[in-house]
Amino acid sequence: MEQAPPDPEPQLQPAPLEPLGCSDAGLGAAVGKEAAGAGEEDSGVDTMTHNNFWLKKIEISVSEAEKRTGRNAMNMQETYTAYLIETRSVEHTDGQSVLTDSLWRRYSEFELLRNYLLVYYPHIVVPPLPEKRAEFVWHKLSADNMDPDFVERRRIGLENFLLRIASHPILCRDKIFYLFTQEGNWKETVNETGFQLKADSRLKALNATFRVKNPDKRFTDLKHYSDELQSVISHLLRVRARVADRLYGVYKVHGNYGRVFSEWSAIEKEMGDGLQSAGHHMDVYASSIDDILEDEEHYADQLKEYLFYAEALRAVCRKHELMQYDLEMAAQDLASKKQQCEELATGTVRTFSLKGMTTKLFGQETPEQREARIKVLEEQINEGEQQLKSKNLEGREFVKNAWADIERFKEQKNRDLKEALISYAVMQISMCKKGIQVWTNAKECFSKM
Amino acid sequence: MAGGPPKALPSTGPHSLRDMPHPLAGSSSEEAVGGDSTPSPDLLMARSFGDKDLILPNGGTPAGTSSPASSSSLLNRLQLDDDIDGETRDLFVIVDDPKKHVCTMETYITYRITTKSTRVEFDLPEYSVRRRYQDFDWLRSKLEESQPTHLIPPLPEKFVVKGVVDRFSEEFVETRRKALDKFLKRITDHPVLSFNEHFNVFLTAKDLNAYKKQGIALLTRMGESVKHVTGGYKLRTRPLEFAAIGDYLDTFALKLGTIDRIAQRIIKEEIEYLVELREYGPVYSTWSTLEGELAEPLEGVSACIGNCSTALEELTDDMTEDFLPVLREYILYSDSMKSVLKKRDQVQAEYEAKLEAVALRKEDRPKVPADVEKCQDRMECFNADLKADMERWQNNKRQDFRQLLMGMADKNIQYYEKCLMAWESIIPLLQEKQEAKDS
Repeated sequence: MEQAPPDPEPQLQPAPLEPLGCSDAGLGAAVGKEAAGAGEEDSGVDTMTHNNFWLKKIEISVSEAEKRTGRNAMNMQETYTAYLIETRSVEHTDGQSVLTDSLWRRYSEFELLRNYLLVYYPHIVVPPLPEKRAEFVWHKLSADNMDPDFVERRRIGLENFLLRIASHPILCRDKIFYLFTQEGNWKETVNETGFQLKADSRLKALNATFRVKNPDKRFTDLKHYSDELQSVISHLLRVRARVADRLYGVYKVHGNYGRVFSEWSAIEKEMGDGLQSAGHHMDVYASSIDDILEDEEHYADQLKEYLFYAEALRAVCRKHELMQYDLEMAAQDLASKKQQCEELATGTVRTFSLKGMTTKLFGQETPEQREARIKVLEEQINEGEQQLKSKNLEGREFVKNAWADIERFKEQKNRDLKEALISYAVMQISMCKKGIQVWTNAKECFSKM
Repeated sequence: MAGGPPKALPSTGPHSLRDMPHPLAGSSSEEAVGGDSTPSPDLLMARSFGDKDLILPNGGTPAGTSSPASSSSLLNRLQLDDDIDGETRDLFVIVDDPKKHVCTMETYITYRITTKSTRVEFDLPEYSVRRRYQDFDWLRSKLEESQPTHLIPPLPEKFVVKGVVDRFSEEFVETRRKALDKFLKRITDHPVLSFNEHFNVFLTAKDLNAYKKQGIALLTRMGESVKHVTGGYKLRTRPLEFAAIGDYLDTFALKLGTIDRIAQRIIKEEIEYLVELREYGPVYSTWSTLEGELAEPLEGVSACIGNCSTALEELTDDMTEDFLPVLREYILYSDSMKSVLKKRDQVQAEYEAKLEAVALRKEDRPKVPADVEKCQDRMECFNADLKADMERWQNNKRQDFRQLLMGMADKNIQYYEKCLMAWESIIPLLQEKQEAKDS
């Protein structure tokens, strides 16, 4: 299958907005690389046989949001928002796109998809969803989930989520993800995978965190980093919301000048016109803050994504701890069985055992019985050794793959956040320029007083 | 107090203050005398009273103590000439150099008053004396007493609530100095008040207290006669033109009060915004300690926000020190204007009452009695003085507010320019590593 080499630009360009961050490892790129046989991201896996549901370069977008009412599981009426997912295939020869699929999904379905990915790709830093409920709101911002601004920002966030998956070299190949964008009984399909059962229990994970003896230092450091990142971004978002609130107040109070200048100009002869027109500029100034702060919310959303990404990082660390703990437990178990075996064989009882106790109470066992037990133990030890071997292998694979994805993530994070900071600076510059413009206009009016 | 770095004259915008008709802006004598006082916009404001001033066509005959038959003839000799330049001024006064005096009984501040004049009323061409607020207050009452038909400029508030405001803080003293300077300049620029004997003594006497104790009441003829007006007369209707002035002043004071409240509210909101900014910037710094590649960009953003915070603080300080006091002064001004209007009403009331009494006496006097004539005279003088002062006041008010509001706009422009510069300067910092990476 001959295909043109991947474009240097990101392949996915949804209408109308750009994804919150760009990634070079686009879906198209993955497709292109597959065709050419290159598979550096697949570390040796034969790319030609690997899942590829996307036959052409595609564009995914979450283009609309709609309020719906329906009946929930308890047959009670509820209102929710549905989002339209559209898939377009792009003809690489002329760049035209053709709508191939479109369907509506609600937030909870996105959650389901993510939970599935978390279970099946524990070594991947899985892209986060936009927040379920509005947090870090300042007073003018609504905390209502049905508020149109919130819904719009969520639409963008969901689109970004899908784009992140689509541009991930491994995740984009997942069948369930593919089916998510297609009509069909997706929910049933995903539930059939039984992923909920495969999920590690929280309790188990917590237990592992406390009990693991030899975690990989890199993961410990990473966990530490993600905790700190989460804390600092939360703090930043909280203060930024307060800053926005105050800035809003400053601008809006200036609007009062408009009214009073107008009233004052009524009693003045020569000063009247200058005052009146200056007052108009004060009104313009006061109303300019709404757009300014709306733009800033976009910046806040970019920060939020990485706040939630910190949780995804921690999930990978937790998985490692769990596996490590599991490994340690298996090794410990094996060691104790070996010892038991040895004791039985040599007849020495060094360790306390139930058998030892019952022997004391109920009498010695026969040599045949002992032989039988040794045999059982030996079988178990064999099994245990096999298991330990495979667990070790699993563990090493996990660490290797996880670390590869973490490196990929770090690069993405640095790129994205730098861009976010640049766009924030650009916003501030624009705000300053507007301020200068308005006050210069007002000054001119005053000069004519 | 006086040793601060000079504030640069604002130069932004199509109409810089230098384009404004302020002949005194270039006046080097005052600046030399002023010592460390800097050519800041507010001083220009203070000087503005001079340029739309009256000029005495004959080089000036003092109206105060000498002999014109009545003030109305004086009015005829005074012409409002809009095209005045500083060269025809013959009296310059400046207030500066506040000093704290600590005595056993009290602690207080004095200000240096420097006067330069070519007028014959001054024995020396130059004087330098020290005065405290009490002395200004004394001067003002004396002027009110001796020139009741004229509008006397207001003084900054006498009493400050102890504990709330620090009377000896640099900011307070500087604000007061500016107000006192403006007070004297307004008197200086007044064609009648500037020749007042009390004013002269205030500017020149080595020992003002001795003079005060002598209790010399040098009332003008007008002052003396108005003094005798008893307060018992009630005016029926104020003439239309004065009623209009009264209405105007009422609305004007109201609007100024509103503007004062708005300005205070803005400053309050800005200060609260500043508080949040001061917490916001450092969080980026904390974040940068966690990162590798992002450390410099984050640190850069933190520094940037710090710079904006500083700029904002400067803005709020300026507004508090320069903007609010001038507004309040004008509210006081319109209050004193209103009391002058009331005094005028009294004079008219007396005249009308006396006139009515004569009419009721039903005597065939062909001629109006002398004392009624005197009353009429008084009334007409008062009306003339008041109208002249009102017109002068209106002109000065227009100048002052133009300056004040342009100044406010300027301060805001400067604030945004500082912030703009800060943000523009970190864009290359944010972008640089990225380019290095791509290459």
